[in-house]
Amino acid sequence: MTNVFLAQADIEAPPIDYAAILPMLIILGAACVGVLFEAFLPKHQRWPGQVTLSLLALAGAGVALGAYAGDSPERGVTTLSGTLAVDRPALFLWGTLLALALAALLLIADRSVEPGGAFVAQAGIAPGTVQDREQVGSTGMQTEVFPLTLFALGGMMAFTAANDLLTMFIALEVLSLPLYLMCGLARRRRLISQEAAVKYFLLGAFASAFFLYGLALLYGYAGSVRLADIANATAGTDRSDTLLFAGLGLLLVGLLFKGSVGPFHTWTPDVYQGAPTPITAFMAACTKVAAFGAILRVLTVAFETTNWEWRGVLWAVAIVSMLIGAVLGLTQTDVKRMIAYSSIAHAGFLLIGTMALTDEGLSGTMFYLLAYGFTTLAAFGVISLVRDSTGEATHLSAWAGLAKRSPLLAGVFTFLLLALAGIPLTSGFVGKFVVFSAALSDGMAPLVVIALVFSAVAAFFYLRVVVLMYFSEPAPEGPSVSVPGAFTTAAITLGVVVTLLLGVAPTFALDWAGAGGFALGS
Amino acid sequence: MVPYLAQAGAEATVSTGEAVAFWILGPLTLLGALGMIFARNAVHSALWLVLTMLSLGMLYLIQNAPFLGFTQIIVYTGAIMMLFLFVLMLVGRESSDSVVEVLRGQRLAAAVLGVGVAGVLAGALTRAVADVTPAQPLNPWTAEGGGAGGLGRMIFSDYLFPFELTSALLITAGMGAMVLAFTERHSKAGKRSQRELVEARFRGEYERPSPKPGPGVFATANSVATPALLPDGSVAPESLSELIESTSAAKLDTARKQVAGEASTPDAHALVGPDKEGETAE
Repeated sequence: MTNVFLAQADIEAPPIDYAAILPMLIILGAACVGVLFEAFLPKHQRWPGQVTLSLLALAGAGVALGAYAGDSPERGVTTLSGTLAVDRPALFLWGTLLALALAALLLIADRSVEPGGAFVAQAGIAPGTVQDREQVGSTGMQTEVFPLTLFALGGMMAFTAANDLLTMFIALEVLSLPLYLMCGLARRRRLISQEAAVKYFLLGAFASAFFLYGLALLYGYAGSVRLADIANATAGTDRSDTLLFAGLGLLLVGLLFKGSVGPFHTWTPDVYQGAPTPITAFMAACTKVAAFGAILRVLTVAFETTNWEWRGVLWAVAIVSMLIGAVLGLTQTDVKRMIAYSSIAHAGFLLIGTMALTDEGLSGTMFYLLAYGFTTLAAFGVISLVRDSTGEATHLSAWAGLAKRSPLLAGVFTFLLLALAGIPLTSGFVGKFVVFSAALSDGMAPLVVIALVFSAVAAFFYLRVVVLMYFSEPAPEGPSVSVPGAFTTAAITLGVVVTLLLGVAPTFALDWAGAGGFALGS
Repeated sequence: MVPYLAQAGAEATVSTGEAVAFWILGPLTLLGALGMIFARNAVHSALWLVLTMLSLGMLYLIQNAPFLGFTQIIVYTGAIMMLFLFVLMLVGRESSDSVVEVLRGQRLAAAVLGVGVAGVLAGALTRAVADVTPAQPLNPWTAEGGGAGGLGRMIFSDYLFPFELTSALLITAGMGAMVLAFTERHSKAGKRSQRELVEARFRGEYERPSPKPGPGVFATANSVATPALLPDGSVAPESLSELIESTSAAKLDTARKQVAGEASTPDAHALVGPDKEGETAE
């Protein structure tokens, strides 16, 4: 028997469309080269080497993406035995991820705001020990952060293009593991940073388990992990709906956790506060893009026909998310935590667009992701500049009267907060407008009304910070505003310019976002 | 598409042997899982989990999935659980859960919600698979049947990309472990040569050029907590390591007295050494 089986060992390798997946291969390949850099380069050459490599990789991936997107097929292609679907939404999200990662990488690479960078020189040294006090003065950093960032980015790109749930799960882990790790590498306040990493890791592992359980139930339902096969199975009626909806529910718990939506958000404020600010910026922008890209694909490709059953639940989730974000955001006294709650509220708005399942919903949500990503990234960049002797001064009281110290910084931050609040002439307004109008045309008027109310509530706490910066007397021992180096300046400028451009002339990005739907074939 | 839950309607029955094995292994699996949760000692928890995993492995074997069964036993019970035990031994098996509730009522709420979710899932699954006819037995010698060959075929054809992507996961994990554990102190650059060390000692970087005196070694005690004696018979405090904080002061005092000859002289005929008295005195 064995002989017979071994004799048929002629396995055909699956055809690979290298042109389509080249951007992802470049990023993952560069990450592997970065690991080799760590092993073979002498210490003083690592930082320049890693920064050059990472920037080159992003640029190369961007060029490859641009070259492919120019004449990509309308319906998209699936490659590697249908495990990856490179279609128009995937290409748009890849472009968004690459651009956001570029800005985040500039923040990560900066060594001027905090001498030596925001990362600890040797993470292996326990906080508070004699050795730890010795390394405070050193200007080195763990340059492993760069390959880890690239790995996370590669995982995010695979996550948004994954066409079956197994690939999606592995991509989820690939994007999460480096983030767990990088959260714990802050140079200042190391204990709170490590606590954030442990919290994120434990809760993230828990959420992954939910995802996996849901995957198993869906496999039991459809006999396949492919999204297209699950969609086919939902068209038949002789199968147990219990498996389908239990599986979908558990799957969504895992996905919504990553997007920090609604009741699955509990990790967000602590992790955003504890992680090094460049990593927070990377997480807030890119993880959200990846998570909502995956949610869009799963709901649209696999569960479109059953949307009447699950839509009610997601309504509730979206409302809870907006409620938590807007109301708890009001009570925060720490700027980073406030932005974290704002991201929870924004996740609720994004979920509204995701639920629409129309072409407008898809393009609107993707546009919102692009706009929100750049705004929040620049906001964290600005937060990293306001410092006192202990590091970043994130307590709101320290921000009082900041406009008198540094009018430019206060002006930029005000603009970004207005964008987060959704004031016209900023990208936030256009994003909310397209998402809400898509939801309206899909018959979700009550939800849109609720969302508008919560937008108004959320706008209050953004404006509170603006008032604090302009109309309060500065504290005598208040923080100083660092003059940013070239990298941080470039990252903040990029974020602000994109926020302004998307607010004034959004047509180009909207056209690109609405260029086509998901590849439905297996 | 292969209808795994037997929607095809092909009749297959559960043989008596399979049923007997299930009713023996099923409760054992459950017992192990419950034991893992309720055991107070972490090592016991790990061992209960081994029972669950072994039973699961046996169940897979009975289901005609030998590869999966052996993988379960070798990888989970063999490798992962042993790693688990190693870690427990390193951390110290005494370290137990804290019983302080940080949030009031947290445990009760967690228990109620956890049992609720488990109940809902179990109920739903029972209902979902109640009227499903058993599937045809797997044939491990075919590509679809769960054998190693079929699995290998799928890994290198249908699931090539996820398989390759796991390499990124492994690299990240390896590098992460090094980032968190490696310090320069362990590398060549971080170590001083003997000559440099001697020079540094005499330059005054350390408190004294010579090493500190070792602990006293006497007929009555061989503990590192026993102080050394100076020529005049007094105790040399430097000989006691500052790191031994767990040694209670009372015990140390008895030992000091003993060494200094102030304690009651031990009875040569006594069956119990004076150490015992020190312990009972605590």
